[in-house]
Amino acid sequence: MQLSIPRLLPGVIVAALTVWSTHADAQGGAAAPDIAAGKQLFNGMCVECHGADGAGGDAPSLNRAKLRHAPDDMALVSILTNGIPNTGMPRIRRFTDNEMRQLVAYIRSLGRVAEAKVPGDTVKGAAIYKNLGCASCHIVDGTGGNLGPDLSDIGIMRGTAYLRQAVVDPGATLPKGTLQVPARGYAEYLPLRIVTRQGGEVRGIRVNEDAFTIQVRDQAGKFYSFRRSDLELLEKQTGRSLMPAFANRLSAGDLTDLVAYLASLKGE
Amino acid sequence: MKTIAAAAAAAALFVAALPARGFAQVPYDRIVKAESEPASWLTYGGSYKSQRYTSLDQINRQNVGQLRAAWVYQIRAAGVLETSPIVVDGVMYITEPPSTVTALDARTGRPLWSWSPKIPDDVIVIGSPPVNRGVAVLDNMVYAGSIAGHLTALDAKSGAVRWDVVVDDNHLGYYLTLAPLAIDGKIIVGVSGAEAGIRGFVDAYDAKTGKRVWRRHTVAAPGEPGGDTWGGKDSWKTGGGSTWLTGSYDPELKTLYWTTGNPGPDWNGDNRPGDNLYTCSLLALNPDDGSIKWHFQFTPHDTHDWDAVQTVVLFEAAVGGRPRKLVAQANRNGFYYVLDRTNGEFIAGAPFVKQTWADGLDAKGRPKVKPGLEPSEQGVTVFPSISGASNWYSPSYSPKTNLFYQVAREWSTIFYKGEAVYKPGFGFTAGGGRTQNGDDAWAAVRAFEATTGKLKWEFKLLSPGFSSLLSTAGSLVFGGTDEGNFFALDAESGKPLWDTQLGANIRGIPVSFAIEGKQYVAIGAGFALFVYALP
Repeated sequence: MQLSIPRLLPGVIVAALTVWSTHADAQGGAAAPDIAAGKQLFNGMCVECHGADGAGGDAPSLNRAKLRHAPDDMALVSILTNGIPNTGMPRIRRFTDNEMRQLVAYIRSLGRVAEAKVPGDTVKGAAIYKNLGCASCHIVDGTGGNLGPDLSDIGIMRGTAYLRQAVVDPGATLPKGTLQVPARGYAEYLPLRIVTRQGGEVRGIRVNEDAFTIQVRDQAGKFYSFRRSDLELLEKQTGRSLMPAFANRLSAGDLTDLVAYLASLKGE
Repeated sequence: MKTIAAAAAAAALFVAALPARGFAQVPYDRIVKAESEPASWLTYGGSYKSQRYTSLDQINRQNVGQLRAAWVYQIRAAGVLETSPIVVDGVMYITEPPSTVTALDARTGRPLWSWSPKIPDDVIVIGSPPVNRGVAVLDNMVYAGSIAGHLTALDAKSGAVRWDVVVDDNHLGYYLTLAPLAIDGKIIVGVSGAEAGIRGFVDAYDAKTGKRVWRRHTVAAPGEPGGDTWGGKDSWKTGGGSTWLTGSYDPELKTLYWTTGNPGPDWNGDNRPGDNLYTCSLLALNPDDGSIKWHFQFTPHDTHDWDAVQTVVLFEAAVGGRPRKLVAQANRNGFYYVLDRTNGEFIAGAPFVKQTWADGLDAKGRPKVKPGLEPSEQGVTVFPSISGASNWYSPSYSPKTNLFYQVAREWSTIFYKGEAVYKPGFGFTAGGGRTQNGDDAWAAVRAFEATTGKLKWEFKLLSPGFSSLLSTAGSLVFGGTDEGNFFALDAESGKPLWDTQLGANIRGIPVSFAIEGKQYVAIGAGFALFVYALP
């Protein structure tokens, strides 16, 4: 296989969907063995991002009756086959018709289980968000600072376990890039310490890089562009974040409320 | 009268003195001696040896920093540009995705003609993006394959179709992405499609008529030599063994060196016990009839999609004090191999990246495979990745430094086994993988001693892209990155000497040529072909 960047011809997509339609009668009445087999496939290819039992993680939770990009099974097959452009969802073309049916059956079964209610008080959580000054770095509904990620729909994009971890130890949960910048799979908001050959020092986050240059934004929002050959030191502080860790600054109850608030942010 | 005759003579002289470009004949003898006329670039790999080396040295270590864009050509339709241009006397022939052929004025980039085959809406391309890696030229024709499974001969001056043949049935998943190879009176091609369960082959066509001269299947049938390496029921019928990259040729030995891809289905070998000859192999073929002179299998019974189609480079060097005719390859499985190209004898082999699947190679070059690393339902992590330590992108060899230059990719994949169900024209891969990316994966341009694979230097790249390399007599190595950097390194030390940003990932294959004494370097990036020269 020549495996290069994902790209499909319309004809291939049509072929894939046509095949699926012949099996569409499986909708709604999936057999238990199909669901079990689908779970095995899911645990192989999907669990890392979508979480155990589809509870969400790096990627949106799937244990919901309504999936934003997949209102019906055909749409779900299309997403699995073709991915979702400009997101972390890759195309997965390895499945046979049978495997695809099993995977869809399992994903749909997740939505038939009552969605676990996120514990905590969202109103209290909103107040904690405000008091901690989160808005100095994060935007919600157009308001806030721009150093950290926009959180307007973070409740859709991330599972609660991920959100909790991100508050407790943000360095462990740097989001993986899904767009062209920096590039797919690269940590976003990666802290850097840079010392130039002239002795100047910059601390900030990586915006982008290539084999010869690196682009940085410091805490004041100022951009820098360096050639690597001009640097004395380029330290990628993997495992760290510019966001403070709130592990010891929040009571267990406050943490639960804050996570409940974040989980309620759905961009609506 | 006398005056008129004198004027006519003067006019004739004037016309003759103009620098006429293009559309010259390219007889076979000219291709054999391609290395002696570096102003043109006559085959996919620059010569039959596929060294991707130019003896032009106008651009060199001292002045490479002054390189600037001479021209840019934007392709017509968005797609992945993986072409390796051919240049003949100032005319450049490129392919554009999916299967368009365009002739350009190599001095200005202005198109001279363009031809696109009819591609059916339901064309089946399983295993790669719909790309094309270039054309072949011979006499007054240009030859190109298409994703529809055709091979077409075009008139070099006009782009008009001289003949068109169906290589094999695209409905079954056969398609062409490679640049054909033109030898004496024959056009040699291979096919893509192992991910659809094809049975691969190398074909030779009469260059003038398009009539097929021979076909050499790469999957041995029962009763043929190697047929007993396909256990299971009828596994050979869908055994893969694509031949999707251009081979090399030794006109003196009259031997074609053609490489083969993975067996089908890719990641589930349960129904194909055995070595699965001649998949993941190098075949030394007789160009007269396609018979196999010798073969060397790099990865017996592959289950990780480690095609062995990577470019094989021919060179001569002393081994143990004796001059040898050699063939080398940096294989997708992570090992670098050197063989005697007269008989296939294994000379040397060594890993050129981190690999976790074999305890080295035995005395005959066969991998000592570690148990328990085949794909499974639960997933198994193996280095190198599913996309390989190397891939279709070209290496380079410099006879000046005797170094083999290769972009080496450091990454792993969690390999999964899936169910194997063959259905004509559909994917037959039976599994897949999740590959390291982002900050966890990286690559480097590496220079090896060509006879041993011993590392001489490396230059780190950010991510594992598809960067082909070109080495030059100006002691430079040109390449690109997935982040859009087009760069030149010192061929002896690996020190970066020049780079520029082309704005999109670089999948094009670099070549060099000259017009009126001026050297150019060309490479495709994003949706455009960029050509650089000194001011």
